[in-house]
Amino acid sequence: MPSHTTEHIRNFSIIAHIDHGKSTLADRLLELTGTVSERDMTTQVLDTMDLERERGITIKAQAVRMSYRARDGQDYELNLIDTPGHVDFAYEVSRALAACEGALLVVDASQGIEAQTLANVYKALELGLEIVPVVNKIDLPQSEPATVAQEIEAVIGIAADQCLLVSARTGAGVAEVLEAVVRSLPPPTGEQGAPLRALIFDCKYDPYRGVVVYVRMVDGVLSAGSQILMMAGQGTFTVDEVGVFRPGMESVTELTAGEVGYLIASIRNVRDSKVGDTITETRRPAQVALPGYRQASPMVWAGVFPVDSDSYQDLKEALERLQLNDAALTFEPETSAALGFGFRCGFLGLLHMEIVQERLEREFDLLLITTAPSVAYRVQLREGTAVEIDNPDQLPDPEKVEWIEEPRVKVEVVAPREYLGGIMELCQERRGEFGHLEYQPGDRALLTYDLPLGEIIHDFYDQLKSRSRGYASMDYHLSGYRREQLVKLDILVAGSKVDALSAIVHRQQASNQGRRLVQRLKQVIPRQLFEVALQAAIGGKVIARETVPALRKDVLAKCYGGDITRKRKLLEKQREGKQRMKRIGSVEIPQEAFMAVLSLDR
Amino acid sequence: MTAETPPRSPRSLYLHIPFCSQRCPYCDFAINLSGEALQDRYVGALLEELKLLRGGTRIELDTVYLGGGTPTLLRPELLERLLSFVFSQFSLSGSLEVTIEANPEGITPEMVRLWLSLGINRVSLGIQSLDDATLRWLGRGHSASSAVDAIRSCRVAGLENLSCDLIFAVPDQDSGGFEASLRRLLQFHPEHVSCYELTVEQGTPLQREVKAQRRTGPSVDAYLRERRLAVELLAGAGLDQYEVSNYARSGFQSQHNLTYWKGLPYLAAGSGAHGFLAPDEGWRLGIQGGGGGLRYWHLRDAATYIRAIAAGGRGIRGHEWLSAAQVELERLACGLRLSEGVDLQSASQLARARELALMGLVEIAGSTVRATTGGVDVLDRLTLELSAA
Repeated sequence: MPSHTTEHIRNFSIIAHIDHGKSTLADRLLELTGTVSERDMTTQVLDTMDLERERGITIKAQAVRMSYRARDGQDYELNLIDTPGHVDFAYEVSRALAACEGALLVVDASQGIEAQTLANVYKALELGLEIVPVVNKIDLPQSEPATVAQEIEAVIGIAADQCLLVSARTGAGVAEVLEAVVRSLPPPTGEQGAPLRALIFDCKYDPYRGVVVYVRMVDGVLSAGSQILMMAGQGTFTVDEVGVFRPGMESVTELTAGEVGYLIASIRNVRDSKVGDTITETRRPAQVALPGYRQASPMVWAGVFPVDSDSYQDLKEALERLQLNDAALTFEPETSAALGFGFRCGFLGLLHMEIVQERLEREFDLLLITTAPSVAYRVQLREGTAVEIDNPDQLPDPEKVEWIEEPRVKVEVVAPREYLGGIMELCQERRGEFGHLEYQPGDRALLTYDLPLGEIIHDFYDQLKSRSRGYASMDYHLSGYRREQLVKLDILVAGSKVDALSAIVHRQQASNQGRRLVQRLKQVIPRQLFEVALQAAIGGKVIARETVPALRKDVLAKCYGGDITRKRKLLEKQREGKQRMKRIGSVEIPQEAFMAVLSLDR
Repeated sequence: MTAETPPRSPRSLYLHIPFCSQRCPYCDFAINLSGEALQDRYVGALLEELKLLRGGTRIELDTVYLGGGTPTLLRPELLERLLSFVFSQFSLSGSLEVTIEANPEGITPEMVRLWLSLGINRVSLGIQSLDDATLRWLGRGHSASSAVDAIRSCRVAGLENLSCDLIFAVPDQDSGGFEASLRRLLQFHPEHVSCYELTVEQGTPLQREVKAQRRTGPSVDAYLRERRLAVELLAGAGLDQYEVSNYARSGFQSQHNLTYWKGLPYLAAGSGAHGFLAPDEGWRLGIQGGGGGLRYWHLRDAATYIRAIAAGGRGIRGHEWLSAAQVELERLACGLRLSEGVDLQSASQLARARELALMGLVEIAGSTVRATTGGVDVLDRLTLELSAA
């Protein structure tokens, strides 16, 4: 069996914006190295979740090992760690980068570098990674590879003539990418003989085998039978199997310093294998753990409740399972007078939230109601203590509150100059404060704004896209907290307050928001057998009212031979819709109602 | 579950006659316009299918229903061939009801006498309206006066069980049109009246026109007003509502249609026809499997149906075995349409029915629930409420 030295290992990931062709390039690399036979070739090989393929995005980081004979005649082991591109999943990128020595920077030849990509490149540079720039999609008629290469040189400082020009779609230039990986990226450093140190960069739960831990070996050797210790978690386990991804799991006798692979050790408990932790051996433990990386912290919180209250325990177990694959997901029990027992979940952003909800429903067969996401407010109480509130309903009475602070973010936007006007207008509408503006080579500009986080969590990204015809991109990070005049908006349905519909809004916008919220609710709450009053109130004072009129007629005149089947199918469909609704008092409220606060036209 | 077990063999037979002289703009039924040439072969195919359905067993029929289409377009000798075949192949109960659907245009006393002589004892006349403006709006080929002539022909020939269809809530007509039609119709003392509100069906010319806003669709206001008017006027004339759209003098309820609403099995033959068989009767169609009942339906195109039968098949387009839950949903959906109501089968159903009774939508008598006049308007929702309980 040929033993790899680290000299012949290259660990790299791909940094790219959504749609810049990362998954296609990865597919080509797998093909060229014969890792996946042509017969088994599906598109987006590494996006294994149904959701990823449907949405054309990468959610989870994935790893794959490729064997490559380079032009120098030597055999190399290339480990590609695939990373997500959406702004919500930036933390997955950091995890992947920490396990690599280099990265391919893939930029669309007709689009240029996007804000998100730039942020990830800086992350990679901070971690000391070597960058190989790849200009993709050169086969497209509107591509301008030279301009994009210039831009890369101006922004990142890598000479334009070092950019590889490829078309992942046609395969042109892809062979050069493999050569560049071998030539330009350094092999991993690490000592085979030193005490074991392996970085956990991901893990997933396999219902039959327990936790599969994705590791990047730094020092030492790991094999079946090793007694391992989680340096932060302190758990000890016996390794049952080690292996590599090709791209399916394939067991090997050992993993050595520099390699990327997995281990299985009958780890059953979710909390026992923390991503970012260092694995060592109990027999000869390492003295110093590897630098972990900062745990991504949630930016928005929402209540997740089973429609059927009997499913509470199932939901709890499902969340625990998901959390194993998704380190950024947090949850704790929550009780709502309206929705019963559920969980307050923390998410990185709205896409993250949608994906978690969809996975819970699909993979665990749960019917859920999710409340509108909220940011976390800092509330200074008159009695002197301060509390953090991520659930609008828990905002204390106004007379007990000294002040409320809301979280703000610094948003960086990269966009062609012609769209700056519309984008600045959008930022102003969302209570933003202008930061600075910087022109970049080509026709593009980097714009920064300081905005309340609550103003960008919902449709800001979509708005940004629509006001720039898809050309603008953004990145953001928390910049601090600021005191604002905030109030709680309550919603009463048929005379009773529904806690799950409460929202925290700016005082100046409160009555306007209240009015539009009840109007919106009127549109989404279906007619009941009786009239339903909808009211918006602030501090007990009703500021807006709408009425959902009673259902007047739904019966059909004829119900003969074939009509019966038609009617039954219609009723079955309606019953399914009804099961998705939550009965609050005597009113059935659909999921959309709980999100209504997000979809108010401005 | 139910107190009485449903009879295993069907006691009703539906025969579909797909021929029409024109396509009405609101109609989405399975019909064929170029009928003349097909008629012989079509009736031949029907007889073949009936033989297969009977499968050598004895079936006693309470009702036969010739629907369409326009069954009266069938040439007299073909009508005779069809009915005499049915009467020779099946046993007949003492109170046999044989209905034919008819369009008013060109109906003469002689035609009605012929039907009576063939054993038909009930005529369902599609007069739709006795108001010419309404008939024009509906795109019907007949006038109010020809409808009146048709009614007279039936009476002159001695028909004792006449049903007339009316359409109400027709837009662009002041409600006077329907009220006047109904009052005029009652002067002829029909034994049975069906009042259907205009329904805009998917894929009909009417639906395209409403969608393109060239025509107004029916309004709920007109529906509510005119339906209450119908209930009142008809009751005053001795015709009580016994189903959402159907009114009859005592003893003249449509026995055939009641089998649909009571969830009883019925045979159906002919293009586009839907039938329903008891759980252990799948063999009649050569269909394996089981469940709470078997619904089946035929190929919609007459020529295709004829070819399928000629090739030794049954002309079946599809079938569905019902689960217990589906049987229950159908039981509620159909049973609630009847003024006699439907049995409540669980304590939770009774509890939900009591809530609905407080809202004035249903009445409960013992273990039976029935929709009130207001409840009938929202029958789908009532069905869902009770089926969820």
